Amino acid sequence: MGKFKMMLLMLAASVLLLAACGKDDDGKASGSDSGSKDAGYELVKKGKFTYAASGVYKPFSYEDNGKLTGFDIEIGEAIADKLGLDPVPVTNPFETILQGLVAKKYDAIIGSMAYTKKRAEQADFTEPYYYSGGMIWVSKDNEDIKTPEDLEGKKIGVVAQSTYEEPAKELSDNIQYYSSDVVALKDLTVENRLDAVITADIVGYEAIDNGFAIKEVGKPLWVEQPSIAVRKDNKELTEAIDKALKELVDEGKYKEISEKWFDRDLLDIDLEGVELLE
Amino acid sequence: MPEVLVTIYEVFIRTYKGFLEAGLLTIEITAIAVVIGTLLGLLFALMKISNSKILQTIANLYINIIRGTPLIVQIMFLYYGITSIIILSNFWAGAIALGIHNGAYIAEIFRGSIQGVDRGQREASLALGMNRTQTMRRIIFPQALRRAIPPLGNQFIITLKDSSLVYVIGVSELFGLANREAASSFLPLETFLVVGLYYLVLVMIFTALLRWYENKLDVDK
Repeated sequence: MGKFKMMLLMLAASVLLLAACGKDDDGKASGSDSGSKDAGYELVKKGKFTYAASGVYKPFSYEDNGKLTGFDIEIGEAIADKLGLDPVPVTNPFETILQGLVAKKYDAIIGSMAYTKKRAEQADFTEPYYYSGGMIWVSKDNEDIKTPEDLEGKKIGVVAQSTYEEPAKELSDNIQYYSSDVVALKDLTVENRLDAVITADIVGYEAIDNGFAIKEVGKPLWVEQPSIAVRKDNKELTEAIDKALKELVDEGKYKEISEKWFDRDLLDIDLEGVELLE
Repeated sequence: MPEVLVTIYEVFIRTYKGFLEAGLLTIEITAIAVVIGTLLGLLFALMKISNSKILQTIANLYINIIRGTPLIVQIMFLYYGITSIIILSNFWAGAIALGIHNGAYIAEIFRGSIQGVDRGQREASLALGMNRTQTMRRIIFPQALRRAIPPLGNQFIITLKDSSLVYVIGVSELFGLANREAASSFLPLETFLVVGLYYLVLVMIFTALLRWYENKLDVDK
């Protein structure tokens, strides 16, 4: 009997502890999903626009002195400003970033996620907020790989769940998965580890600027359209973001942010005759 | 080689503020996981050695499921998997998953230590007229706890290092921060080396505390 009483006590203590956790949680971090309304759209946190990026994709989203920054993050800030909300950028590993959106961990993904038909089954996408080319990268001393066809049977590194995964699989059946482009590109410089990496042109050039001994192969394989993902049950927010984006472009604010990071307007690209990734 | 050392030193200087904060988060998660794990461990150990078949079955089910599945799966499940039932912040999902995971191992540590106390101790105290609760509290438990300290300390060290896995749900603890630092500095080797040192120092501090406590309790005797 005594033992049983003790057990009950322990159980009560654990339940209390868990309950306390739950309460604390409601208060600060994840908020409630009960649907606090702000101008008609559902937000994870009232009055705040919470958006996710991987945080490991320089110069789009990365940490500088402990502060999340980059092109994606600033676009998010500008949109939040337009919506009259406080920007709250958060990070989530790219492999599970869509799951996190569906599970209501944040309101949107502004994480350089390109629109694809498959992704559009899980979330709604806004109009593209920039264009980017998928490019093959190899080690600087690599003389074997000169065209995409040369990749047959070669080991290709890609970020899991990225748009580069499918094309990589078509080019070779030897794929290695990463959670960060930087680690993948770094592996190119280690002998006998990887033959090629497929990732965005901008990210590869950034790595070269940071001293990585790599080079690109030919021209971009295709052009993809990074867009902002929003939960399907949140159409009002998708529309509001689209409207905000259009205003930012019209007012020149977009160009300002883009030139700050890339010295050019990422939306200003001639799409004539270019293959767009779907 | 010296050049690498210089880069490592630079990474260390540039990142230490962030890493100290992240280290605090690692310690917090570990501490919560240790508390939850110890409470659950004690509860399920007692259930397992109780006379009730139902309680034993529940305890066995918990221990087998938790020990039979990887921690990373449990973290993902708690954060992404059961959002229709409960929505937790990534910090709490990580800490609770780590605590529940620990509980299963700690339950076995407690059970082993309690059952490891000589039967004669129990018989003697019952013969002296103590009831079963008194026997447990005054005679068995103090002896069991002393035996449990070394394996518990070991388990806590494992917990500290396992806490790095919560980076998969985006918690900015030591490893999560290292991952992002590596990406922004394009220096993965140096960054992961530095973060490894942080874990090493944390474990060394903890080991020293544990040794001091063991000495105090005279565990060797």
